[in-house]
Amino acid sequence: MSGPRRHVIIGTGVAGNQAAHTLRQREPDGSISLLTLSALPFYNRYDLPKVFRGIHDWRGFLVDPPSHYEEQRIELRRCTRVVNVDAQRKVVVLAHNEELPYDTLLVASGGRAYLPEELSEFRDLLDGFSSFEQAMAVQRKLPQGGRVAILGGDMIGLDLARTLLDTGHRVVLFAGKFTFWPHTEPPDQRVKLLDVLERMGVQIVDAEGRGGIASIQAGAAGFATRRVVLGDGTEFPADVVLPSFGLVPSVEFMLGSGVAIERGLLVSPTLRTSDASIMAAGDVCQIWSDEHKRYRFYYGWKNVRSMGELAARNLTGEDEPFVPVQDESLHEHDGTVIHSPFWEYA
Amino acid sequence: MRTDVQIAICGSAGEGTIAAGDILRSALAAAGYRIISFDAYPAEIRGFGKCVARLRATTEQVYSLKEKSDVLVCLNDEYGIPQVGEVRDFGAVVYEAKSITTLAAGAHLSAHLRPAQIPYPVAIRELSERATGATRSRNLVALGFLAGLYGLGVDPFLRIIDAKFKNKGAIAEPNRKAFVAGQQAGSQAFKLDLVSFGQPSAGQKSTILSGNAAVVQGCLDAGIDTFFGYPITPATTIMERLAVEMPRRAKRLVQTEDEISAIAAVIGAGYTGARAATATSGPGLALMSEMLGLGTMAEVPCVIFVSQRGGPSTGIPTKTEQSDLNMAIYGSPGDAPRIVIAPTNVEGCYRCAGKAFEMAERYQSPVIVLLDLYLSNRYETVVMPAAPPFEVDGDRLASKKELGPGYRRFALTKDGVSPRALPGMVGGMHVVTGLEHNEMGRVNEQPDNHEAMSRKRHDKLLHALHHPDFTQVKRFGDEGRVAIGLLAWGSTFGECLAAMFRARTEGVRCAAMKVVMMSPFPVEAVAEFIDQCDVVLVPELNYQGQFAHLVQAQTGRTVRRYNRVIGAPMPVEEIQAQMRALLAGDERKAA
Repeated sequence: MSGPRRHVIIGTGVAGNQAAHTLRQREPDGSISLLTLSALPFYNRYDLPKVFRGIHDWRGFLVDPPSHYEEQRIELRRCTRVVNVDAQRKVVVLAHNEELPYDTLLVASGGRAYLPEELSEFRDLLDGFSSFEQAMAVQRKLPQGGRVAILGGDMIGLDLARTLLDTGHRVVLFAGKFTFWPHTEPPDQRVKLLDVLERMGVQIVDAEGRGGIASIQAGAAGFATRRVVLGDGTEFPADVVLPSFGLVPSVEFMLGSGVAIERGLLVSPTLRTSDASIMAAGDVCQIWSDEHKRYRFYYGWKNVRSMGELAARNLTGEDEPFVPVQDESLHEHDGTVIHSPFWEYA
Repeated sequence: MRTDVQIAICGSAGEGTIAAGDILRSALAAAGYRIISFDAYPAEIRGFGKCVARLRATTEQVYSLKEKSDVLVCLNDEYGIPQVGEVRDFGAVVYEAKSITTLAAGAHLSAHLRPAQIPYPVAIRELSERATGATRSRNLVALGFLAGLYGLGVDPFLRIIDAKFKNKGAIAEPNRKAFVAGQQAGSQAFKLDLVSFGQPSAGQKSTILSGNAAVVQGCLDAGIDTFFGYPITPATTIMERLAVEMPRRAKRLVQTEDEISAIAAVIGAGYTGARAATATSGPGLALMSEMLGLGTMAEVPCVIFVSQRGGPSTGIPTKTEQSDLNMAIYGSPGDAPRIVIAPTNVEGCYRCAGKAFEMAERYQSPVIVLLDLYLSNRYETVVMPAAPPFEVDGDRLASKKELGPGYRRFALTKDGVSPRALPGMVGGMHVVTGLEHNEMGRVNEQPDNHEAMSRKRHDKLLHALHHPDFTQVKRFGDEGRVAIGLLAWGSTFGECLAAMFRARTEGVRCAAMKVVMMSPFPVEAVAEFIDQCDVVLVPELNYQGQFAHLVQAQTGRTVRRYNRVIGAPMPVEEIQAQMRALLAGDERKAA
């Protein structure tokens, strides 16, 4: 091989961004392209609840200033959707019809919010909270003291709930099997944790015990803008309804690439996919675990950042396995406080 | 909230780039914003070359375009990519979301955005097709997107679209639809850039005019009787507009076979007492130079509008330059003095146009109004006077006493201006010739006569330095002694003024003087200004420093030159850099 290598990284989340910076440190001459659907440079999505604390300027969420990418000679391609990866030609095909060749490809496209099939018909009545734009849209929509319905209640949603309560809003949690995701808590512990949430001010609704969520309806004029209707017919008004059912890996564009996929991209402990030129890191990949004898996801900011760094190291000559760096257990203290490692970042 | 937003629209010739800019500036002006705008386009008529329409909308008075735009709209990636750099940090770039052909790496505009610029990929082509069944209204879609994104009122846009396309068959409605489709997309887009429009300031009713349109209005308000011209960029639109307006006023306009015919006809018409004018550019002025000498020799009032462009020869027809000053002042055989005035902004175009007719009559001389492409094509919002501020008849006609057998058409009077007899005036018979002549007009080559007549032709023009209600020079900025002064003429003055105001905010004592009267030259006022400055910088858009030469020759003072021939307005930042270098005493950085 001659000349500097072309590294393409899909995704500018924690993993992709970390990988780009590590790559630059280890390979000063290579070209690095970071592709993202977002219109913004990498920002801390974990911080998004701060929109309710008055931070409405997206620059307040940036991890690095925009100039950092220019200084590091990292090409940042925003509003860029990947539609296909042609692994044979080593080309990434972009939705706007541009073909981007690569020598190495790191897929760090993360995961998108999962929405159960039975709720998909109500998509237009639901709000997301996984981007700055969505966060601001929710903030603008939610009146002071307004009510937020959180469906499911994964740890990202519960983190938001904490802020919403702090900032004078009301939170109704429609609990079910996704509550506390990605933690999997035994039933007795789960009851304790729900009690803690209730003491914190969250209104807990046992959605599964009441026939599940039957529908989401638009509210009547002069009342709350949404209604969550349960299987037993009970209705709960809300100003905003947020699905919070965990993440599903963003891998659609990899279908047809020849890379092995289960739910996420299957990678070895060194984060290599079945294609020698393609690696994966972050929430998009399932890593082979010798301990568990299966491919599994590793969530959390610290794990994901570590994967990004490891991928870059392994792309540049190392061959080290991923070692989880994050405790995965969920604790409650004194019946009043919940502590999750997934709420730790930075 | 103060508004200061500069928008650039970039596309290929034929994509409606300039039309989009025209609609945008008209709509924003109608909404009450102050506008300054300037379009750059190629020499070819259609289908080739890059067009860029730029406008700056403000609530405060400004004097120039900004070096960095706040928003860029790209209708064409090939031409848009080089323009991306002009967008400021946290400004917006609107571009076509999807190519219809497969692009090589880096060929899409999104590959060229800087991380601090905010991308807005818009399905411009698709929206146009959906709304109108065709892709040619992409410019209107893009315009609509801007309106939606920034919450600009839709009605002014629709009114202007209707007015613009009302005579163009059935395309008004599709264009409306395309605009609305874009507006809806824009209003749904999440605005991430840090560009915003505040409420326009309520003030006097203003009109948006280009420099050439202002010239036309000045001609009409001054009572122009006849116009002869031959088309040439960038002066053509003067004739085009007058061709529409003059017949409505029972006045005549003739397109002649060339520029020589045009000036000859203007001199002929001027000789009869008609207010007559022509408009041309540098190459046309070159052709007119001999006849202009006749105008001087025969002391015939006539007005010549000259819009400069890049030269020499055919040069760069659609790019601006200030390189015809020497030719305007000196370009004729022999000592052929004439009045040359150079407006510095659109309002000045109006005033200079009208005053040119007054001066031509009062001093019985050709008057050249020296514009340039940047000024001719620049649009500004101006507050027009309630009534035309021009003298409708400035002729020094011969009295009955002066007429008769002894009538001396070229009498050596105290002020040098002789009693004029128009054809048909009883007792006004005289000889008019391009040859040197005596007071009666008869050929006379005697040395004493030639000296006396030369003095007469020169000295009478000096009175133009005191022509009423006409700004010869004007000083801005700090009074008294200053560390640095800017001396400028023509369209470049706006950039100099902006640079001067910025320097003052940095604590520099400085001033700027605009010089409108180029010939005769206001020596005293300019010399006094120079004497009050530690150093004087003369920025101008020509290679030789023609104005700087003139200043030095006329005043005997030394000035520092800054000359650029970039085909575009002088960047304010460059003027500032020169000022800083001069103030720091860095001779190497100072050009």
